[in-house]
Amino acid sequence: MSQGRRAGEPGVNAIAGWWARAPWTLRWRTLALPRRRQIWAGVLLAVGVAFPSLVGSAGYVDAAANAFTYVLLALGLNIVVGFAGLLDLGYAAFFAIGAYGYGIAASGQLKIPWSDVWKPLLWLGQVQRVPIEGGPDLVQLQISFWAMLVIGATICALFGVLFGAPTLRLRGDYLAIVTLGFGEIVPVVARNLDWLTNGAQGLGGVQTPRLFGYEFGFSPYPYYYLGLALVTVAIFISFRLQESRVGRAWMAIREDELAAGAMGVNHVHFKLLAFAMGAAIAGFGGAFHVAKLTTATPEMFQFPVSVMILVMVVLGGMGSVRGVVLAALLIASLQSVILQELSLWVNAVGRSIGSPWLARVQLITSLELIFGFILVFMMLFRREGLWPAVRRVAALTRDQQAALPTRAAEVSLSWATPAPRTGPARPLLEIQGLTKRFGGVAAADGINLTVDAGELVSVIGPNGSGKTTLFNLITGLTGRDAGTIRLGGEEISGLPPHEIVARGVARTFQNIRLFNNLSVLENLLVGEHTRLRAGALGAIVRPPSVREEERRAVESALEVLGLFGNRLIPRLEHPVYGLSYANRRRTEISRAIMTRPRLLLLDEPAAGMNPAETLELMDLVKALRGLGITVVLIEHKLDVVMDVSDRVIVLDHGVKIAEGKPAQVRNDERVIEAYLGRRRRVA
Amino acid sequence: MSVGEVLLQQVVNGVALGMMYALLALGFTMVYGIIELINFAHFSVFMTGTFLGLMVLHLFGFTGSSAALTGLPLVGMLLVIFPVTMALTGMLGVLIERICLRPVRGISGTAPMITTIGVAFILINLVLMIWGPQSKPFPKIIPDRRWAWGNAEITLSQVMLAVAGVTLMLGLNYLVRRTALGKAMRATAQDMDAAKMMGVDIDRVIVLTFFLGSALAGAGSLFFGFYYGFTAFYIGYTTGLRAFTSAVLGGIGNVPGAVAGALIIGLIQALGGQILGVKWTDVIIFSILITVMVFRPAGLFGMQAPQKA
Repeated sequence: MSQGRRAGEPGVNAIAGWWARAPWTLRWRTLALPRRRQIWAGVLLAVGVAFPSLVGSAGYVDAAANAFTYVLLALGLNIVVGFAGLLDLGYAAFFAIGAYGYGIAASGQLKIPWSDVWKPLLWLGQVQRVPIEGGPDLVQLQISFWAMLVIGATICALFGVLFGAPTLRLRGDYLAIVTLGFGEIVPVVARNLDWLTNGAQGLGGVQTPRLFGYEFGFSPYPYYYLGLALVTVAIFISFRLQESRVGRAWMAIREDELAAGAMGVNHVHFKLLAFAMGAAIAGFGGAFHVAKLTTATPEMFQFPVSVMILVMVVLGGMGSVRGVVLAALLIASLQSVILQELSLWVNAVGRSIGSPWLARVQLITSLELIFGFILVFMMLFRREGLWPAVRRVAALTRDQQAALPTRAAEVSLSWATPAPRTGPARPLLEIQGLTKRFGGVAAADGINLTVDAGELVSVIGPNGSGKTTLFNLITGLTGRDAGTIRLGGEEISGLPPHEIVARGVARTFQNIRLFNNLSVLENLLVGEHTRLRAGALGAIVRPPSVREEERRAVESALEVLGLFGNRLIPRLEHPVYGLSYANRRRTEISRAIMTRPRLLLLDEPAAGMNPAETLELMDLVKALRGLGITVVLIEHKLDVVMDVSDRVIVLDHGVKIAEGKPAQVRNDERVIEAYLGRRRRVA
Repeated sequence: MSVGEVLLQQVVNGVALGMMYALLALGFTMVYGIIELINFAHFSVFMTGTFLGLMVLHLFGFTGSSAALTGLPLVGMLLVIFPVTMALTGMLGVLIERICLRPVRGISGTAPMITTIGVAFILINLVLMIWGPQSKPFPKIIPDRRWAWGNAEITLSQVMLAVAGVTLMLGLNYLVRRTALGKAMRATAQDMDAAKMMGVDIDRVIVLTFFLGSALAGAGSLFFGFYYGFTAFYIGYTTGLRAFTSAVLGGIGNVPGAVAGALIIGLIQALGGQILGVKWTDVIIFSILITVMVFRPAGLFGMQAPQKA
């Protein structure tokens, strides 16, 4: 690859060629991605473990240990902002809660009179009984750091849910403001609740952690290794979550919340989970930070801290775990090492050229200025961050691009059972008196209709006749004013969209709504969401059951993509924003099929396709019907509709004006009138 | 003083504060109304405005120890200082829009808002570098005259604040309601693409919106300086957030709503501080912010929901 670009540099070319042909390079290329990652992780961890002996200076080890706090915070915020797309401007609040949590539990701050309730904890060595002259004995908390790591993270997660819950319905920038509000309130409370936090002076004398009798004390080395362990765990959690049902659900919400709901993602649950996970990691960071500093003051958690963490995430690339870690280390070393060393150098230069300003300048004071420039420059010139999350995918080869489209030899899906074409009709979808008004306009006005299992029904009508509204009502995206919708005899009206999907209704959108920054495969896997069980814990631990369901999900996705022959399979790993229009339509239809629907609602699937592609698609739709999937189609290409449908329903101004076999409907006086206008009567 | 008189005094103070918040809130609301952007840089434009005002005053020979003016010289001086400072902050707003925000306009998601946070940090730290971290005394050119009202009293600077604030707001109202520019602004706020197709020069409208909003913030800066008698690099954030809360309370994007919201916030700050203690003021105000955002995102007076699907 590089040969073409560097043709003019024979030296570089020769080295590059030698490197590319070297045995280790060839061996490395043959390794599977997970294996390569394990090797990278092993190498980095070895470097991390060896770092203190490599630098040999306690100052640097101390700086690195402090940096780990920020790496933890950045990883936590990355879950909220990067994965789930929820801009949290008050993230330092969780840092504060985690920090004060450990600080209060491991210092003499609380003055609790002694009573026998504390005896079990005394026996466990988690409290001390302090005799006070001339008064009742007091309890002094000295809860173990390790216990507080877990308890603190849990408390933070609860606060994450508490602060996240009000923001669920809010759009991005409003959400940011509400989180900013919480971020302001927490330090003010910390400053004002003297009995709990010791106010503006802050907590003092927090005990340091102890492990099997080993006292951490004030040497930076044990904190360095503790921080390294916590960061390793947080990175592991981040990667595992990212590549799981949970991570895909977050990213789906980030890309298109409405489409995510229509694919079965419960956005309330997953947004709160993101807040809770992000907050829990901040809780780790807080406890670690306070254990190392042995103090906590309100100033440590102000707005600029939230912004600093945001700068790390923005600089590294929102959603990019490796990028965020790198950026956090960079910013932390900028703060603790680079700017100070640079200042010394600049001051020396200033003295030698006789400039008193240069001789005195402290570059560390311009740290926030640098943050400001980073934010502006990244947003203007490189929004995806220094090391973006989106993997670069090899472009299709010329052969692949030029390959003739093939079609699936036989349309089959392992989970679908071809419906018997005989026997009495069983109604699958029954709608009665369905009404929806927008202001004075009735987009659906007392619609009654029934779709039998295994049928292929088209809904047609002029623009604004309420076709898409009908789909929105069935899928729960729009609430109804009156009427009932039943699926297989069960009432589904009033259910949220994700539950309707789970009951077997899937849809596509008129103006394609894919998750643009996710790959074709990931888009399809979101469609599988309701079939998978893994929660956050399952995603992190990845037990055999989760591995198995992931493997089956990928198999299922390949099977569905196979319906489109070689159209999508070679583009499996490509982000969908780069696909052609027709291929995006196909991806969206595949994603809907992935939910294993009983009822598939296709909203103008052939829009923007050429006649050949339209025919191909309609053959597929007919084949799906043959597999027992009931299909309702909104379509404007009337010849298409007349050709494939068993039955046609015509809407006009939210009213069903005709229904029947295509041939009947074609000649219906009212339909012609709706489409072409009233025939003028000749007097 | 009786309880009633204390309350009366706090109402007077609250209204005066509200006037200052209103001038700031208008800038938020106008920008949001047109390009749906929460402009964090506005906080810092306000703060920078106090230093620009200070600079203008210094140019005219006023320092922290200058004697107060009276009569015509005072009126004449104010008539010079206000337009000059407002023009300077207005130009600062235009620069920010032109350099940092126009390139990210129309990008969905949080990128534009993150950019404004970056701009805010840059401005704050530039001011910090130029003028240093110490707070600077503001020349007291308005004489300390007070009128008793029962046991409560009202100061000349409060009266002038109110008069100037009302004048500026009436001017803005005239501009938005009665002029061609105002019509273009309202059209752009309703539907930017449609306005563009009807021949409205969108870029010009947006630049002018930033100019007006920032100029009003500049007026607010001078009010802050004259009212509190000092300025410092850190004043923008708290004051700005309170003004922002005012805009949210009135329904962000709603110009008269912002003024009403600001008066309410001013009163809440004055009375709430009196009742619950000053240290809880911010908690009260942010709780209001969160509550309104969550339960009435269109604001107390908002007609249409600002959240577009």
